[in-house]
Amino acid sequence: MTELRPLSPAEAAQGLRRAGEAARGFLGTDPVTQNDALLVRELVRREAQVYAAGGALVGCVPNRAQPRQAYVSSTSAGPEPVRALLGHLTTYQRRTSFVALVPEAGAAAFAGAGFARTGVLPGYRYAGHAFHDVLVLVKEEPCRS
Amino acid sequence: MPIVTVRHFTEEDVPLRTELLREARFAANLTDFAVGSDDDGLQARQLRTITEEHRTKRIFTVCGPHDRVLGFAWITSIDWRAQCCELSFGVLPRDRGLGAFAVYAVHKHLRDELNMRVIVNQVYTHNTMFLSAEALEAQHQVRCERDSHTVGEWRTACYWTLSDEDIRAHQDSAEERRRELAERIRERIEARS
Repeated sequence: MTELRPLSPAEAAQGLRRAGEAARGFLGTDPVTQNDALLVRELVRREAQVYAAGGALVGCVPNRAQPRQAYVSSTSAGPEPVRALLGHLTTYQRRTSFVALVPEAGAAAFAGAGFARTGVLPGYRYAGHAFHDVLVLVKEEPCRS
Repeated sequence: MPIVTVRHFTEEDVPLRTELLREARFAANLTDFAVGSDDDGLQARQLRTITEEHRTKRIFTVCGPHDRVLGFAWITSIDWRAQCCELSFGVLPRDRGLGAFAVYAVHKHLRDELNMRVIVNQVYTHNTMFLSAEALEAQHQVRCERDSHTVGEWRTACYWTLSDEDIRAHQDSAEERRRELAERIRERIEARS
């Protein structure tokens, strides 16, 4: 199992900067259009928790209206860091519902961790002089309380 | 790999930009406030831009091969909703021949990533580093007498905007020129054979 190491917002911003293209859209941030100071500010504003998971970064933002639900992101193309994050959130935060907003190219890591495609946000993200669709992927765990 | 790349302005870039702000041609061509400001004040001002002024001002570092800093670009008067901003440049004296590449790279970044649609340019008429006097005369849309006072003189400024349509027209005419050139070369080769 991949081990998770919690990062401060400043460490997270540095990690996202290093991850480059893979970090675009991570929990709604974008290192191409936002400098490190703005990345930190946005992560704090969203109450984001970011973890180093092997060589990748994973993170979540709680849904304030639904305390069992969290938005999750990963810079990894593989599913293992996502699985580790879900395990952590299920075990320690009693989360049961997970939502990922990712471009088509980033969907494999979440599909491999059991996410199902539930919808598409057309033209949701702007990059490289074009608007891109974003997939809405969801995974529900049975409530264990 | 593009010759010129654009990245965010960082704390480490501040001393180099401070030096540029005080350079004689920079002071005459853009603004001379730095000549009368101390290092701490200039540094604090630029750090504030990095940490706080994201909505109203952004500075970019323009780099050449091997990430060597060529100069800086910054956008002000940003209207995010109308997707327009004003763009300024300061290229380091040693790299001033590369200004055209820097201009292209920054325009591309502003359109491709920040989704800006209209970019306002301003150049004082005495400044021929960016465009020749003839090109400036042909390019400008607005001429503003006594626009600014720098290094003891009133300066006349030329303003013009570049929209997506302008960029497309420019690309089309460049494409047309390339085609004509290719055609001429082909004709010459055929004539020889």
